[in-house]
Amino acid sequence: MLGFRRGCFEKVCVSSHGTIRGRVPRGLWKEQEQLETPVKRQLPPPGPSSTFLPPHTHTLDPSHTFWIVPFKKISPSFDSQTSQAFFPKRPIMEDLISREPRDLGRALCIITGASKGYGRALAFQLSCRLKPRSVLVLVARSTAQLNELKEDIVSLCGQNKLDVRCVQADLEETEGVEKTVQALKETNSTEMDHVLLINNAASLGDVSRFAQSFTDPAEVNRYLSLNVSGALSLTAGVLQAFPRRLGLRRTVVNISSLCALKPFPSWVLYCTGKAARDMMFRVLAEEEPDVRVLSYAPGPLDTDMQLQARRFSGDLNLRRSFCSMFSEHQLLSCEESGSKLIKLLLDNNFPSGAHLDFYEL
Amino acid sequence: MSAGSGPGPGPGLSSGFGKALVIITGASRGFGRALALSVAPRLSAGSVLVISARSEDRLLELKRDLGHGDPGITVRCVVADLGCKAGVESLITETRDSATDPGIQTLLLVNNAASLGDVSRRCRDFTDVCEVDSYLSLNVSSALCVTAGVLRSVPGRPGLTRVVLNISSLCALRPFPSWVLYCSGKAARDMMFRVLAEEEPDLRVLNYAPGPLDTDMQLQARSSSADDALRNTFSVMHANGQLLTCEQSVSKLMKVLLEDTYPSGAHLDYYDL
Repeated sequence: MLGFRRGCFEKVCVSSHGTIRGRVPRGLWKEQEQLETPVKRQLPPPGPSSTFLPPHTHTLDPSHTFWIVPFKKISPSFDSQTSQAFFPKRPIMEDLISREPRDLGRALCIITGASKGYGRALAFQLSCRLKPRSVLVLVARSTAQLNELKEDIVSLCGQNKLDVRCVQADLEETEGVEKTVQALKETNSTEMDHVLLINNAASLGDVSRFAQSFTDPAEVNRYLSLNVSGALSLTAGVLQAFPRRLGLRRTVVNISSLCALKPFPSWVLYCTGKAARDMMFRVLAEEEPDVRVLSYAPGPLDTDMQLQARRFSGDLNLRRSFCSMFSEHQLLSCEESGSKLIKLLLDNNFPSGAHLDFYEL
Repeated sequence: MSAGSGPGPGPGLSSGFGKALVIITGASRGFGRALALSVAPRLSAGSVLVISARSEDRLLELKRDLGHGDPGITVRCVVADLGCKAGVESLITETRDSATDPGIQTLLLVNNAASLGDVSRRCRDFTDVCEVDSYLSLNVSSALCVTAGVLRSVPGRPGLTRVVLNISSLCALRPFPSWVLYCSGKAARDMMFRVLAEEEPDLRVLNYAPGPLDTDMQLQARSSSADDALRNTFSVMHANGQLLTCEQSVSKLMKVLLEDTYPSGAHLDYYDL
């Protein structure tokens, strides 16, 4: 019977032969090159985007614990996503982010939209950056995905180090915001030296349609409720629950986008929402000089939202650009982008209220 | 008269809008009212001016004042609260009913209706999603939905210039403490109209920031803003006679619209012109 630990990026399955399957983000693949491990010799180096990794099978030695980081299909002609990989026991996560020992303190860290995509990746990456007895609060609508994420993080960090809590909430509704804030109040925050809120939960909206088709206020209101109102109200709730005090650092992150700055045809809701959020957090930065406010545009990430973008965008040119980014392997892994955000937070010298983009850093 | 229904700025609308269908929201007071009074004399006979607001009395008063000018134009009042779906729908319906003349040369939609929001409170005080929703419903959603409904009711065709105006603000570009709702709403609107300009190259879309006007909204700003420095600035502007009259700002806007050379989707400020 083979034992294994699930990797941070994808669920994997282990066949009876001990082979494993899955996908790995490209960013991680670059990091692997830098690792001086036997793994490097066993796997072919990444070639130009036109080459592909042939599937190969390794038998796992049951005496080792493996971190499983599966491979991404790197050529559209390569049908089978059956590349596999394994590594000897290593804290891959920490190596990814940086090799320095800085951390984000004994923190109460809240991540919305934590069940998948960027939020999920951040949950893993941040969990390694929080001092023992920190609390990580994961908020999303899906209880099942949250619980699974919690299990994975706890097995990554060890049970006693990090208190991981799940809050099932829909942030479009006042009740969802209130439930989240209430859950935060129930944590023992007196020992915390950092409250870190990551406003990540968002939706794309119906990108198959153009501005002229949005004649129903109920639809637009609903969109803005999640993407704008929910973020403001949750932030307000957190700041009130954890008011300014000596020795407490407070950080608020807005997961932004290039769409906050540039208009994209057929993306009226998303651009409008992101523009509103950026301004909202700029006002916050003006009002609360002790709060560290950052709008971070993560770049084009390989997530479900990106899939939606390339499948459904009403503007043909835009849709083609997204398809091309995908097929040319120009999408970023969540981890790659997450690393940059975490570095920003660790360096902590960004101007409060600034909009910073992955590609500028 | 304008022949500009191709991409980019047209050759100019000369001294008037010709036979037009004009819709102005928030027309009962302030900038909207001044705009209605300034636009009317520039409309040819057979034009229709749709004025919308919540106050029936004030709309009727404005209609009377408009009637003192050229009687060749029809003024229609739409009493509606654009913060509600019913209000948005009734304005769109009235527009559709007014758009019966196939010979109009200009469609001018002025998204002016807006509110300041509660400027006595800061970001950290807006813990109620419903309150923020309600603000965005009037100031963001209704502008998008009215614009969408009006454009669908009056589709593009050769010989028709369609102009969509968003009354914007410096607040769309710069954050002001204790003004989170207003700034976010204005930033949202500007982006919304920039997307519209990208999508519809035959439209003329303008985000116009009118400057600090001497209106009820300004009064609210100088009496209620929680931020002391900001409140002070407004009081000083008022005391020193630095506020603009609506007529001054409308006058610049008229010039910009009639010259018709602005890039579609641009943000233009009174003080830039």
